[in-house]
Amino acid sequence: MERNALRARNGIKLVAGVDRPGVGLTPKDVVWERGRTQLWHYRSDRVRYSPPLLIVFSLVSRSYILDLTPGNSFIEQLLDAGFDVYMVDWGEPDERDAQNRLEDYVDDYVPAAVERVREISGAEEVNLFGYCFGGDLSLLYAAHHPDAPLRSLTVLATPVDFTQMGPMADVFRGGLEVDDVLDENGNVPPRVVVQGFKTLTPTAEVTRYVTLWERLWSDEYVSAYQAMTGWSDDHIPFPGAAARETVQMLVRDNGMVTDRLAVGGDRVHLSDIRLPFLTVRADRDHIVPPDATAPLIDLVGSEDKHELRLNAGHMGLVVGRTAARTTVPEIIGFLRTRSEESAPARAAGQEG
Amino acid sequence: MTSGKQPEAPLWRQAFDAAEKRVTPHAENLVRTPGFATGVALLRRAQNAAKDTARGVSARAWHLVNLPAGTDLARLRAQIGALDREVRRLTVQLETERRARAAAETTPEEPDADGTQPAGGPRPRPARRGAQRPPRA
Repeated sequence: MERNALRARNGIKLVAGVDRPGVGLTPKDVVWERGRTQLWHYRSDRVRYSPPLLIVFSLVSRSYILDLTPGNSFIEQLLDAGFDVYMVDWGEPDERDAQNRLEDYVDDYVPAAVERVREISGAEEVNLFGYCFGGDLSLLYAAHHPDAPLRSLTVLATPVDFTQMGPMADVFRGGLEVDDVLDENGNVPPRVVVQGFKTLTPTAEVTRYVTLWERLWSDEYVSAYQAMTGWSDDHIPFPGAAARETVQMLVRDNGMVTDRLAVGGDRVHLSDIRLPFLTVRADRDHIVPPDATAPLIDLVGSEDKHELRLNAGHMGLVVGRTAARTTVPEIIGFLRTRSEESAPARAAGQEG
Repeated sequence: MTSGKQPEAPLWRQAFDAAEKRVTPHAENLVRTPGFATGVALLRRAQNAAKDTARGVSARAWHLVNLPAGTDLARLRAQIGALDREVRRLTVQLETERRARAAAETTPEEPDADGTQPAGGPRPRPARRGAQRPPRA
């Protein structure tokens, strides 16, 4: 009886959309911006390691998954570990971004962010970290700019073998053109992206609602549900020209695996990446299946390269207990051994 | 994902989990068939063909009274978007150049400050003007 009352209360809250948990709350400053793109610097007075860590986020989802809620935040854990953390957030692309190609990100925005981070921190190098498709951008950047001031490269849930990406990639090999799904702004609309992800696990939506009904009485579950499903349903438009290039080069040509990559007209080879390298894969990832990430470790040219395989899902790599227990400590361990410990010269995030 | 293994799961949940276990592999196999991909493509094209026809009729109506149609505005927005992109890229590239120059000025004794490059090493990549292609027609 009591559970039914709690179900009714939480159900009303969910439907009304009230009492949503705050997401992306870790204090930060915008230290550079161009167009919709911003570079964030997270505030911290516990910085103990140099060089700073620059996170390159995915082009199709919202970056707050890395800073979900206080106490369940990947960013928070990195700050607690003593890193100086920056993140490139692509904002919400509109019609002005429809012509953006991959080279805009790989040759312009990421290098500009790296330079700005070096300028603010005074460090010679940065540790680069790519999440999901941001990992692909980071790989292309590192491969296209072998002289880039990078200390190390870490990628998480980053697909390289797009033949293993399931129905979302299959439809583009089966005759669908990117132009068929563009909206009036010239971008792939978020609902298409969300629908694409939902097709990967066609019954998950029903299971999700059934589990919600079963555990609707639990405030803790409802709060986590709101934060997690809020993120998985909350995507951003994918710039049309970048989507065309992605489909042709990465999906149809499977360029990462077949070594048929080009950025801005130049041939790019993942084997040119010779930095200390870490790839993190999730065995239960339904968005980026483990088979899609598997070949990466053999494709990069680094001698100092490592692969971390975890029994987690896509989101479980960065949020929740598995992340806090395994993923984050492993990543922190990798970065620590590629960083110098130093007394904090000044608190991060004082640029104004 | 499911809680069917928990001993305290209610009967209805156990029944759902059993059904889900049977249905999910079939559903996942279905969406991975070539027929599904072709079906999605055909459906999308049919939707677009219907939309294009409606847009064409509406555009002709607006043009009859000398007014721009939605398709004309879309074209303009695409052109402005392309221009915006060019300006953004140039700004970023200028910023990068300025930073590089400032850095070179603070370290004048840098070995390749005269512009020469080490023979075997990677060379810095200049802004790629050739890569800034006009928008697709």
